[in-house]
Amino acid sequence: MEVAKQRKQKIIKDKGPKITRREMKKQKELIFLSIPFVIYALIFYYAPLGGWIMAFQNYKPKGGLLHSQFVGLAKFKTLFSNDVFIRVIRNTLCMGIINLVLSFIFSIGLAILLNEVRNRRGKKFVQTVSYLPHFLSWIIVTGIVLDVLSLETGIINQALVALHIIEKPINWLAYPKFFWLIVGFSNVWKETGWGSIIYLASITSINPDLYEAASIDGAGRLQKIFHITLPGIKPTIFILLLINVGNVLNAGFEVQYLLGNGLVQSVSQTIDIYVLKYGISMGDYSIGTAAGIFKSVVSIIIIFLANKAAKMAGEERLF
Amino acid sequence: MKKRFLSLLLVLLLIIALLPGCSKKDDTKDVDNTKVGVTNKPEDKPSDDGKKKEIKEFTAFFAVPGTEINDDNVSMEKLAELTGAKCKETWLTGQTAEEAVGTLIAGGEYPDFICGSTGHAQLLEAGAYIPIDQYWDNYPNVKNYLSEEEWNKVRAEDGHVYIIPQFGIINEKDTECVHNDEAFWIQTRVLKWDNYPKITTLDQYFDLIERYLAANPTMPDGTPNIGYEILSDDWRYFCLENPPFFLDGYPNDGCVIVDPNTLEVSDYNTTETAKKYFAKLNEEFQKGIIDPETFTMSYDQYIAKVSSGRVLGMVDQHWNFQQAEDAIKTQELDDCTYVPLGIVMNEGTKERYHSASALDVSNGLGITVSCNDVEGAMKFLNDLLSQEALTLRFWGIEGQDYMVGDGGVFYRTEEQRKNFVSQDYQVANLCKYSYFPQYEGMNLDGINAWEPGSQPGEFFEALSTEVQECLKAYGAETYVQMLNPSQENSPWFPMWSYSNTFTSDTEHGMAKVNMDEVKHEYLPKAVMAKDFEAAWQDYMNVYNDRVNVDAYLKALKAEVDRRIAVAEGK
Repeated sequence: MEVAKQRKQKIIKDKGPKITRREMKKQKELIFLSIPFVIYALIFYYAPLGGWIMAFQNYKPKGGLLHSQFVGLAKFKTLFSNDVFIRVIRNTLCMGIINLVLSFIFSIGLAILLNEVRNRRGKKFVQTVSYLPHFLSWIIVTGIVLDVLSLETGIINQALVALHIIEKPINWLAYPKFFWLIVGFSNVWKETGWGSIIYLASITSINPDLYEAASIDGAGRLQKIFHITLPGIKPTIFILLLINVGNVLNAGFEVQYLLGNGLVQSVSQTIDIYVLKYGISMGDYSIGTAAGIFKSVVSIIIIFLANKAAKMAGEERLF
Repeated sequence: MKKRFLSLLLVLLLIIALLPGCSKKDDTKDVDNTKVGVTNKPEDKPSDDGKKKEIKEFTAFFAVPGTEINDDNVSMEKLAELTGAKCKETWLTGQTAEEAVGTLIAGGEYPDFICGSTGHAQLLEAGAYIPIDQYWDNYPNVKNYLSEEEWNKVRAEDGHVYIIPQFGIINEKDTECVHNDEAFWIQTRVLKWDNYPKITTLDQYFDLIERYLAANPTMPDGTPNIGYEILSDDWRYFCLENPPFFLDGYPNDGCVIVDPNTLEVSDYNTTETAKKYFAKLNEEFQKGIIDPETFTMSYDQYIAKVSSGRVLGMVDQHWNFQQAEDAIKTQELDDCTYVPLGIVMNEGTKERYHSASALDVSNGLGITVSCNDVEGAMKFLNDLLSQEALTLRFWGIEGQDYMVGDGGVFYRTEEQRKNFVSQDYQVANLCKYSYFPQYEGMNLDGINAWEPGSQPGEFFEALSTEVQECLKAYGAETYVQMLNPSQENSPWFPMWSYSNTFTSDTEHGMAKVNMDEVKHEYLPKAVMAKDFEAAWQDYMNVYNDRVNVDAYLKALKAEVDRRIAVAEGK
């Protein structure tokens, strides 16, 4: 596998600088095949970017893009002079990072544990059950979360009281300090099983000879996990990490919107909620667009930095 | 071989399952086509076999919470026979009106009819409506729905009528029996337990709840009673924040207090009464009278709790918890329904919870630019205002939902009354088109009221004996009579119809956003705080720091002056 990879990289490096006409002619079927996708991307990914003009206008729906007044960077200035927006960025980043870390630990953990299960039927069963929550929509999941955390009937409060860990039921959603963790673990509950699929697949591609050899050398289960399984899926982990780092600012919208309330609003609002509130409901579409642009630009920067870091560390990378 | 056969079978099944879906789609397409055809040639006589297809289908979105009715609703079919059209209504779910409307505007596609509620200003600004006054000459019911002067109030700045107000248009006389607005509500069983005492102040109100709760900690089935709920979910947090002006004896201007003598405006959030009120809530919260979960509940959870009949009292608008009260009635927990109390802070203040229905011109039903068949839509509106249609909408079907007695007086049997409050029955059988234009007060026949809930006699008879007993004890026959009779509305009333139009690109608009945000966070904190004084001080500091109250009041004062000038005909 290593060899193949190196060879592939070499090819890319060699072919990189000289795209000749002959080369193109040779690949004309491939180029031809890719045209629909290029058109698709142009129409659905690049054309809508024209709407970004709104951020530099005082946009009014009646006038449309063509007849709204240009105001330069004024909307960005209002955005960054607003403490609420600064707080919203912080919330988004923190929840994004918490989600990222928790989902990695739990998905990889679950994949490894499942891999160790010997009973094939049991393994399949657990795996299927564990990814079912992925198909529930957030409105249902938050409903479950609200019930589970409820003061009167919530299982968490009842269990903690019964075990004498707490004296009185706690209203979890009333305290800002719990909110991020609640969101994080709601995510874990919903996505762990789904996230582990890809790791399980990559574990199955590890050569079984390695395990056999390790057994002969007297390695125990834990040693096999740490010295064979984890290094084996390291490339997958890095690629997924890179992809997900770019998504950190997409920390979510529905969860925070549905679980949030007045008491925790200073930690619950994310950029997406801000866009909805100020852009859509207050009718200031320009400021919503400006916030959206900010989010995209920061995401792109983050992904480039992460890629660079991976490159410097000599690990798998995206581009 | 066996496997192959099985998979073939499955594929076949899948195709068969898909087929009806496709053909159904085609059907509706056909209907759409004929719809266009019909509008082009209105002189065409409907042929017998094509009769079903002649029914036009409109769509409507109302940016208020509501219940969607079944597609095969019985009254809707009857109305469709009568008017030649029907309308699929959708309502707000889980969003605010501004969000829903903003999303529609951003998409640029609207339903045929729309009522923007607090998002109306945005719709107008986006040019979403067609001018109704350019079409109404052939539709007398629409044109004569309001008087010339009233229409002038509705006209937008460019002189066109874009919306038709649906509420507060009274025929003959006001027959309102239900107080549909805000009040301190209390269950009749609590009042009965204390022999129907006279309750006027906040202290008396909470004292009664405390004593009742001490004596009756649980419902008959053993679930614990809840003393008091404060709904504070999103825009519905008015249940928490607006009682201070009611407690001082002002009517529901919503965003501000307007002094009727000096015409000055003032902020109700920082008054002495506001502080006393929240201090009282804090005290009750610490005592455990107020549900400890109250500030983290979603609206659905609140409705579920109220529906269980366990909640003794709360401040709310009646329309906001009506569905919960209907649920209580369906469970036959007759002593757990609510009556309104006009609570004030200090003895001697005159409460003004009930206001006469005012023509609210800030809001109404509009036809959108996306409607392909404006003439058809106008005809639908026109036909819905005929007496036959109005009776079908608000009374239902004769013999099934109501009976006609001597002299044409409508009445209902016990079963019909029960049906009328059952959610299941409502969605399958009743079709009020409640956000389309309608007359309140008396029917055009001059004999009956516009709906059963306003019919003298019928209203009182339909109440449970528990409520009848309670009302009698206070010398009242209707819920409205539990409160002071409404006074004539001031020319600026209600001010919320102005503050609802604020956008965030103005200074007063930003002040309101910040005000809402600060209050939403700090009021619950103050109520839950161990040390109220410190929490209140904290709240006031943040409030003064972040909210530009001066700009806010200045804008409202200007609007009060403008409205007075309009009323005086300047």
